Amino acid sequence: MTNLIDPVAEVDEARAADVVIGKGRIIFRRFMRNKTAVAGLAIFLALFAFSLLGGFITTWDKETIDPLNIGMGPSPDHLLGTSQAGIDLLALVVEGTRVSIFIGLVVGGLSVLISAVYGCSMAFFGGKVDSVMLFVLEALIMMPAILVVAVATSGGGQSLKELPSWLLLIAVLLFFSWMGTARLVRSLAMSLMQRDYVKAARYMGVPSMRIVRRHLVPNIGSLLVLDFTRGITGAILAEVAFSYIGIGIKLPDVSLGVLIGGATGQVSSFPWMFWVPLTVMFLLTGSLAMMNDGLRDAFDPSSTSIGRASTKKKNK
Amino acid sequence: MLRYLGKRALIYVVMIFLTTSAGYFLAVSSLKPALLEQEKIPRPTPEQVANSFRLLGLDPNMNPWERYIQWLGGIVSRWDWGRSPNGAYVNAEFGDRVMISTRLFLASIILTLVIGVALGVYSAARQYKFQDRAITSYSYLVHILPAPIAYFLVQLGAIGVNDAVGERIFFVTGISTPGIEPGWPAFVDLVAHYAVPTFAMTVFGWAGYQIAQRQYLLDNVNADFVRTARAKGLTRNQAITRHALRVSFIPVAQSIAFTIPAIFTGGFFAEAIFAWPGVGLWSIDAIGKQDVNVATAMLAYGSVIFAIGAILADFATTLVDPRVRVQ
Repeated sequence: MTNLIDPVAEVDEARAADVVIGKGRIIFRRFMRNKTAVAGLAIFLALFAFSLLGGFITTWDKETIDPLNIGMGPSPDHLLGTSQAGIDLLALVVEGTRVSIFIGLVVGGLSVLISAVYGCSMAFFGGKVDSVMLFVLEALIMMPAILVVAVATSGGGQSLKELPSWLLLIAVLLFFSWMGTARLVRSLAMSLMQRDYVKAARYMGVPSMRIVRRHLVPNIGSLLVLDFTRGITGAILAEVAFSYIGIGIKLPDVSLGVLIGGATGQVSSFPWMFWVPLTVMFLLTGSLAMMNDGLRDAFDPSSTSIGRASTKKKNK
Repeated sequence: MLRYLGKRALIYVVMIFLTTSAGYFLAVSSLKPALLEQEKIPRPTPEQVANSFRLLGLDPNMNPWERYIQWLGGIVSRWDWGRSPNGAYVNAEFGDRVMISTRLFLASIILTLVIGVALGVYSAARQYKFQDRAITSYSYLVHILPAPIAYFLVQLGAIGVNDAVGERIFFVTGISTPGIEPGWPAFVDLVAHYAVPTFAMTVFGWAGYQIAQRQYLLDNVNADFVRTARAKGLTRNQAITRHALRVSFIPVAQSIAFTIPAIFTGGFFAEAIFAWPGVGLWSIDAIGKQDVNVATAMLAYGSVIFAIGAILADFATTLVDPRVRVQ
């Protein structure tokens, strides 16, 4: 992910250097300049609100069966129609979106945290610690995650059955999601440790923790933020894919993947059951993808995105 | 070089042993085939179930550690990966499954690679022009579409074509029609079964290669050595094909090395959607039937394939990149 330098942006650089603006504001402004990213954020927040407050739009819930409207298309009674069992689709989609967003946020957030801590400690300690930690990391990369997910979620054993399937899925996804970033963080942090400014800070007697905070974190920050949104997307997609082929989340828990997977058998007779959750999933992952680029630009300390110049490259 | 590869291989063997053992413990403590036996008609008594499982080496009354020792002993002494709850031997079924996966994936992986790399070069050479934007946006779109759903949409499309023509041109599931005559009809049948999965996997597979190849090439287009080449009088296209392209192909070659062994593991999603009974579908089915031995064998197999890919990738890098020296 290199940042392609826009020649127009460089011209404006000198002018912007005169004014001192707070870091948070710079990040915010840079992000707001990227129209695609702002649109993505708006869609994501709207879906988030929908997943929390959507329950108030419909009077039905995901367990109540409406015996008068079984497998009916969208109507004033049921805005998005009902399932083959007569359950309101809107209520199901609200619940499914909430579960999917929740899985995405938890897995995305925690895996970034784990990979940052793990990767930085590897680079920081080096030597034996580094090689042992690298060994563990590579061993985990090696395992086919999908098989472990399948074994963990379809086991008949008593100990695992008591947990709800979404919690189990979160645990397994989390377990297998942080290694790639951790390796990237390690190599980045290692090269940063060799930089002159880090060396200078060390010779000046700056405490290690402050070096990490002042010099390491801002430099890998854009990677971590980017990885956060990517991790959310990855987790949502993984959940949909796994639940679709019948591993992962299981009924009675509802998620977008369960809804999409369950509807594929009868696409021609109950098309709304398939297309509605699929559209929601698209909006969710699409909005995150739209935000990615804006976030990367906003958090990159060497970003050249200034003023109107950045609007020219909003897509890339 | 050989010593280096040997050392890497040794580390991987240790890793495979550890991951497989961990996988066995996970599988043996969460998969309980005895519970499924209770659904049989007439329902067997728990003693009958325990007895038949003991004969298969799946004794539910032993603790995980004892079973692990028994299982490991079988592999070390007789290369016997155990049996399924229905009595089938893991070893016997394995070869056929790998062959089916290989047949399914070979064509699409080659197509994916060629198309992906070609489109990557094409779009990088026309950066920010219409063609580049169209190709790259498509690749990003594929990224937000989960594979099984993408395959399913292709399936729907193929069914739509069949309906529109009023004849069954494409088969959307399975590997062949039973009882077909050999010769020309068998060949047509084969193509009809291959077309849809290969198309789906190719169309949704090249995105990764395209983006990577485009990115690496763009990174190199402005490098000093390309500028030098241009200063020496080469045209832009010559400089790109002779100098930038070669360097940018190195990381892609590495990912190719990872893909080649993946042919034999197949894809869980493609096999599940298109109902090809290859390695992926076998593992998913086996786990559904609470089959500890197949699940662990597949885990081990996946790890071995990954290790081979990693070593091949190392080897490929030293082969194509003259700057890399391995001591």
